[in-house]
Amino acid sequence: MIYKMHQKKVKKYIEKIKEILFLNSLNNFLIILLIFTICIFSLQSFSSVIFNSKWSVVTTNIPLFAFGTFPSDQSWRPIIWIVSLLLTSVLSIIPPKWKWLRKNLLFAWMGMIPLGIFLLYGGLGLQTVMSRNFGGLTLTIFLTVCSSMFALPLGIGLAFCRQSSLFVVKKLSSIYIDTMRAIPLIAVLFFGQLLIPLFLPLGLEIDRVWRAIFAFTLFVSAYIAEDIRGGLQAIPNTQIESAKSLGLNQLQIIKFILIPQSLRIALPALTNQVIGLFQNTSLMSILGLVEFLGIGRSILANPKFIGQYIEVYIWLASVYWIICTILALMAKYLEKRLKIA
Amino acid sequence: MKSYKNIFFQIIIILLCILFFGFLINNLIINLIRTDLGFNFSWLLKPSSFALAEHVLPYSPSDSYAWALLIGWLNSLKVIFISLFLSTILGTIIGLSSAGNNILLKITSAFYVTIIRQTPLLLQLMFWYFVGFLGLKNNFIYFSNILKINNQGIEFFGLTLTSEFSALIIGLSVFTSAFIAEVIRGGIISVPKGQWESFRSLGLSERNGLLRVIMPQALPAIIPGLTSQYLNLAKNSTLAIAIGYSDIYAINDTIINQTGRAIECFIILLLTFLILNLLITNLMETINKFINKKKIYLS
Repeated sequence: MIYKMHQKKVKKYIEKIKEILFLNSLNNFLIILLIFTICIFSLQSFSSVIFNSKWSVVTTNIPLFAFGTFPSDQSWRPIIWIVSLLLTSVLSIIPPKWKWLRKNLLFAWMGMIPLGIFLLYGGLGLQTVMSRNFGGLTLTIFLTVCSSMFALPLGIGLAFCRQSSLFVVKKLSSIYIDTMRAIPLIAVLFFGQLLIPLFLPLGLEIDRVWRAIFAFTLFVSAYIAEDIRGGLQAIPNTQIESAKSLGLNQLQIIKFILIPQSLRIALPALTNQVIGLFQNTSLMSILGLVEFLGIGRSILANPKFIGQYIEVYIWLASVYWIICTILALMAKYLEKRLKIA
Repeated sequence: MKSYKNIFFQIIIILLCILFFGFLINNLIINLIRTDLGFNFSWLLKPSSFALAEHVLPYSPSDSYAWALLIGWLNSLKVIFISLFLSTILGTIIGLSSAGNNILLKITSAFYVTIIRQTPLLLQLMFWYFVGFLGLKNNFIYFSNILKINNQGIEFFGLTLTSEFSALIIGLSVFTSAFIAEVIRGGIISVPKGQWESFRSLGLSERNGLLRVIMPQALPAIIPGLTSQYLNLAKNSTLAIAIGYSDIYAINDTIINQTGRAIECFIILLLTFLILNLLITNLMETINKFINKKKIYLS
């Protein structure tokens, strides 16, 4: 019985596909022709590269791509950090039934940065590693996680400041947000790398990686603030009125009504920001940090692997693509789960 | 009572801001005195003594830094407006094909959009430059005098485009078109389905219906998204430095390396981008106004 039903369903699907494919057969023929010509064209032009590619560039340099010049006997430290990051994100997306874990997820996320700093920089019994030895995917993830974690509270704060009734607060935050959104990211990063040392008092120096994180935070927080503001404006006024009638004060309204709802509305935009940030960390390769793309560039500069652009670029692009797609899928799942029925 | 409190609070905030910026500027002055640079713009008139491969107006290394910056700005504008045009066309085609009901086209455009959107622009630009152009054979495409494509760039009716410029244009247009396609798809989907059915029942052809009925209603939803994509395109054009095209950021970078005037160059960069932003937003606003006017006229 069930088998027959399935058969019927499959038949229906096949018929639908047939209908779609062969209803407008001339159009489809033209499209297939177009796709074929593009394929043949690209095959012809890059045939030598595709069939004679040597993937040893990638396979011999996997540790370099993953950890940069991190001491090889210490590479378990970034691995532990990344695995714990993965675990926390999986736990926050598919929450277990235990209530205590769900309540402490926020603290787990906040603990990720100190844990990362401890594991990557060392100290307290671990061998210390200088930040110039960071690199590869580890550095990319470190930059992304730290900047997005710092930028989120800053962005929320800025969004509330922009909605504030105080004139000065409103003006200052909107000037900040608008200028940050007007200038290109590379200029902000340049500011972080070259100009921040000029603004610091003599003798005080900040690590290059932290200067980059600072610049990314400044940049992304402006964008996050706009996304959150969109979320805030989408909350109906009745919500605030009903909260007031329940006797909640200003702080409680912000904490229990405005922030959770605006975050839920802004979630798709926020995940786009995180994905964008993950991709944009590649700009640091122009400004001298050897993150994932930077490692690729420095490997291509090695005379041993000269001219093997296509292999390295395809490898880099596929890793970026896989990570970004996973992030997007996770966000989509979370969105679905948070939707109010 | 409450308003006094508010004013007091705001004054404190202003004072804190002044204190903070005063502290930063004080540090800056100390550092500038220490490095013996000072803060002035008189260096702008000195000869730049670097060559530029690409210039719209006549330029030689004996021209001033200010002139070099202007050339850089014009180079940036050239890239931005050409790729703005190309990406709009490409994005519209892809957006329409992903909003239509042809399954093959839908799959192709979805594939294109995910591939382009989920990889960094910098990587794509490098791919177009190092693989797409420098990896080509010497005479890749050659039709006597009409079209030549090789590792030197594109030559089209005697108009030569360098490989850096062409790679930048292609990379930026392809990247932005994927985002524009999403914007346009969203706009078309936002038009209620009844509109499609009603123009079909009126006997309008698909093409006429799309142009006369669906598009005018989708445009108000499309224009704001399009504006922000154009602004992103303008900002992304600064990645030209990675493939050696001399746009405004690359020239600022060269000048900083030559003279060490980081603060002044940064201020110039900021101003140019504020002007560029104003230009694009105003342009889009006029288009928006024009569209809204036309809609009122139609109804």
